[in-house]
Amino acid sequence: MEPLSWGEIVLRILGLLTPVWIGLVATIALSIAFKRRLGLYGKLFDSPIGMVGFGLVMFWVFTAIFGAMDLIVTHDALSQSASMKNEPPGTPYSKLIGDPDPDAYPFYLLGGDNLGRDVFSRVVDGAWIVIQIAPLATLFAFMVGITLGLPAAYYGGRLDTFLSFLANLILAFPVILLFYLLVTPEIVATGIPSYMAAVMFVFPILFATVLLNSRYHTRPSVRTPVLAAVIAVLGWLYLSLISERAGALEVLPSWLDLFDIPGGILVVFVSVVFVNSPTVFRIVRGIAMDIKTRDYVAAAQTRGEGAWYIMLWEILPNARGPLIVDFCLRVGYTTILLGTLGFFGLGLPPESPDWGSTINEGRKLLSIYLHPALPPALALLSLVLGLNLLADGLREESLRD
Amino acid sequence: MTAWDDDGPILEIENLSISFFTRAGEIPAVMDFSCTVRPGEAMGLVGESGCGKSTVALGVMQDLGVNGRIVSGSIRFKGRDLNEMSADELRRIRGREIAMIYQEPMASLNPAMRVGRQLMEVPMIHEGVSEKEARARALEVVADVKLPDPERILRSYPHQLSGGQQQRIVIAMALMAHPSLLILDEPTTALDVTVEAAVVELVKDLGKKYGTSMLFISHNLGLILETCDRICVMYSGEAVETGSIWDVFDRMRHPYTQALFRSIPLPGADKNARPLVAVPGNFPLPHERPPGCNFGPRCDYFVDGRCDGQEIPMVPVAGDDRHESRCVRVDEIDWDAPPEAGARHAATEPGDVVLRMDDLKKYYEVAANSLFGGGESKVIKANESISFEARESETLAIVGESGCGKSTFAKVLLGLETATDGEITLDNRSIGDVPIGRRDTKTVSDVQMVFQNPFDTLNPSMTVGRQIVRALEIFGVGETEAGRRARMLELLDLVKLPREFADRMPRQLSGGQKQRVGIARAFAGGARIVVADEPVSALDVSVQAAVTDLLMELQRTENTTLLFISHDLSIVRYLADRVAVMYLGHIVETGTTEQIFAPPYHPYTEALLSAVPVADTRVQKKSVVLEGDVPSAMDPPPGCPFQTRCRWKHKVPGNRCETELPPYRDLSDGHRSLCWLDDAELAAMEPVIRTAAE
Repeated sequence: MEPLSWGEIVLRILGLLTPVWIGLVATIALSIAFKRRLGLYGKLFDSPIGMVGFGLVMFWVFTAIFGAMDLIVTHDALSQSASMKNEPPGTPYSKLIGDPDPDAYPFYLLGGDNLGRDVFSRVVDGAWIVIQIAPLATLFAFMVGITLGLPAAYYGGRLDTFLSFLANLILAFPVILLFYLLVTPEIVATGIPSYMAAVMFVFPILFATVLLNSRYHTRPSVRTPVLAAVIAVLGWLYLSLISERAGALEVLPSWLDLFDIPGGILVVFVSVVFVNSPTVFRIVRGIAMDIKTRDYVAAAQTRGEGAWYIMLWEILPNARGPLIVDFCLRVGYTTILLGTLGFFGLGLPPESPDWGSTINEGRKLLSIYLHPALPPALALLSLVLGLNLLADGLREESLRD
Repeated sequence: MTAWDDDGPILEIENLSISFFTRAGEIPAVMDFSCTVRPGEAMGLVGESGCGKSTVALGVMQDLGVNGRIVSGSIRFKGRDLNEMSADELRRIRGREIAMIYQEPMASLNPAMRVGRQLMEVPMIHEGVSEKEARARALEVVADVKLPDPERILRSYPHQLSGGQQQRIVIAMALMAHPSLLILDEPTTALDVTVEAAVVELVKDLGKKYGTSMLFISHNLGLILETCDRICVMYSGEAVETGSIWDVFDRMRHPYTQALFRSIPLPGADKNARPLVAVPGNFPLPHERPPGCNFGPRCDYFVDGRCDGQEIPMVPVAGDDRHESRCVRVDEIDWDAPPEAGARHAATEPGDVVLRMDDLKKYYEVAANSLFGGGESKVIKANESISFEARESETLAIVGESGCGKSTFAKVLLGLETATDGEITLDNRSIGDVPIGRRDTKTVSDVQMVFQNPFDTLNPSMTVGRQIVRALEIFGVGETEAGRRARMLELLDLVKLPREFADRMPRQLSGGQKQRVGIARAFAGGARIVVADEPVSALDVSVQAAVTDLLMELQRTENTTLLFISHDLSIVRYLADRVAVMYLGHIVETGTTEQIFAPPYHPYTEALLSAVPVADTRVQKKSVVLEGDVPSAMDPPPGCPFQTRCRWKHKVPGNRCETELPPYRDLSDGHRSLCWLDDAELAAMEPVIRTAAE
């Protein structure tokens, strides 16, 4: 078979991404049709920059999801073919030993890497890793930052001094060194990452409990069942999350343990939450200090509301604008951080298709073969660019009127 | 280009229309606006917020931003059309020929530059004078705006000066280039009344001294009366009436001007016998203006078909000098007819004493170093020996300028802070040292507050109904969610808001409507004492009367004790039964409203009365201008708190004022004053406000 020309490669990739295009068009069309009823999200579609950012982000989200559903990926991301080593984009698929599966996709669209794996499939699979970890880790960092930042701002005084000092301490610690420490087998064996996870993952439960209790404490008949249900579900998830069959913490018997997180992913997760939460803490603290002086907060105080009700229902909702913008930016930073971790080979297994690891592998032969390193690098760039543009658009729109 | 002759007008605006172009389309901000300012003349531009008065000023400065554009009309300055000038020519005129003074003095000064530098820049840039000469001129101008120790002022940074001093510097900066036209956009709104009076006095004197023409923008009719020769009243983007101060104030010929004057508390208005007449309805939004006369839907004299038929032109009022009105019925309406008597009410009888404060003190300790707690700590005496009683269904006004401790006192009463010393008793229960967290629900719902800023009083992310229901929940009103919702709707009825508002977000409400929701929330638990902290001062004039009215009505039906905190003596005179005047943490005078507003006064009350601008040409005021600023509560003067600014101090023998705190003397019948002046001196005091015979 003849290798594909560049035009054919592009056409075939566009064709393979059909489900992504359908998803994108449907989302954007629906959003624009109902944009006046969708609040800030709807206003995003008034800003060209925000729309471009949203489009880029959603492109990768759909690619990741459909990729994971096996609608896009052409080859298994881990299977190697000795005859495909470092082959340029568009090379027909072949195997050194034996005939290829007749059902297999006949080309390596973006070429093969130094082990003869399909670059295109690896980029798509890498997106799934990023899309799974980055927003979730950022969300956890926000939970931690909000749960500590609000009381620091609201109470002030010694608590504030102490928490701010702690945040500064963490921020001053060299991040890469911290990662190296956390993934060192000796440290993992002591269970430190697991214990850190155990502490950090408590925050969402605390957050939800306080949020609901402060709101409904005047109506015990509603409060008690709702709280019990929420604590039970979240508690179970929490225990499953931290309990590992062979790890340092084995809390739940295996028949109750819902899922096990691979140790490497857990470490990455913990490190990302750990380094992100002090910054979120500082942002939340700053905004809350400003909002705390508003009259509606004083009004809540004069009717005898509890401190947590004021923090979570009077202050937090009004801080949402800047926090949403920061969330988008921070998912971008986390994506870069994940790339960095992968690049240094920290946490994730070496054959993992995540973008950072792929870029690192491609780097070694960069002067001879450009094609294995470039696609994941461009993917990382476009996703982070999209997130930054989205944040810009959101900021611009939330500042209007 | 025609040469400008000296007798022609300085500023001539003809049929000016300004629009802002947004995504929603064109929004006309100013329509068909004309006015003329002659040399040495001061023109007042009055109107409510959103009426376009600031837009006119920005139009004159040709500084409308990216969205704003002059759609038609001309602005001629000394005979030259500003619209046709190049950016270069405009730059030469701005600051040199036309200077502008804005509302926030701090925002007009560069915080990173010494005041002297900023002043010297003006002539150095515009006239290219040497640094030495510029400095000499800066010194002279700073002395002209009556700032003490000009050398030191020139060396200081803006943040080292008080608000009043900063505004004087801004005025000095505007005068550095000897402009022919000075535009003042609400120059004193951010200042305290006594400081405002001094700044207004200064502006008037300087206008005379330098012969500068002025365009004075304000929402305060009293201020305009004191400073201007001519006035232009604006409503919803149009000038509705223009003329000399005396014509417009005494012989107004437009229904809006008339309604405006009837809705502000002038001396003689009384909450029971002669209540204010509120302007019905709301200010129209720029894209919802009615056809024909913009004021039509709110006007008492509206005639179907005539007032909304065609565009209404300005017509001259016969017999007056340059007096014009935008009303088709100007010749038909009987302008001197007395207003329809509003609902009169019998004066409420105060009941038992519900709240008693006895020798209340509140000190704050400020540590020099908050992290390690070392260093000397300073004590701020926010409240010093506050004692008074409040009876059921009585209105007690607490009057004072910012920093006098009135807000601290409210915080202690509400339980947000605890008293350092002294007693607060509510129905014989002591609550002074009980913080809000330990008060029972009944006490909390009994003492509630209405806040000053309507844009800040409601949580922007919760519906109006939800916020009231939450208050009901906390106060334990109603058994079920449905019951509370029903009660919430009743509360909305009570404050005269439509029930649909329950599901609206606060941003969809106007300032007055938000304030009503705030009032409904305060009354949710059947409050018996409501602390109203300047509840109407941030509202537009025409809305103020309606909200004040609502408060009075609720007080009558609920027998509430109202603690009305304000600096505005006109409104206090209108609605208060008793008044307490505060200065630097002390109550310096208490008594019934009649006692406070008639001599003998406490010297501070006298100055305060003189400082409040009154929009009535018949009123003659004695001018008492206070020198200097309120001393810091961290470092109060020894002896009498007011001794640093008192003009009566020399009448007290010895230097008792400076060494000993005066006794809180009973002058007559519950009228008490914190002063060393003896009875003979007090008896010789003249009334500050005198109304000429009608």
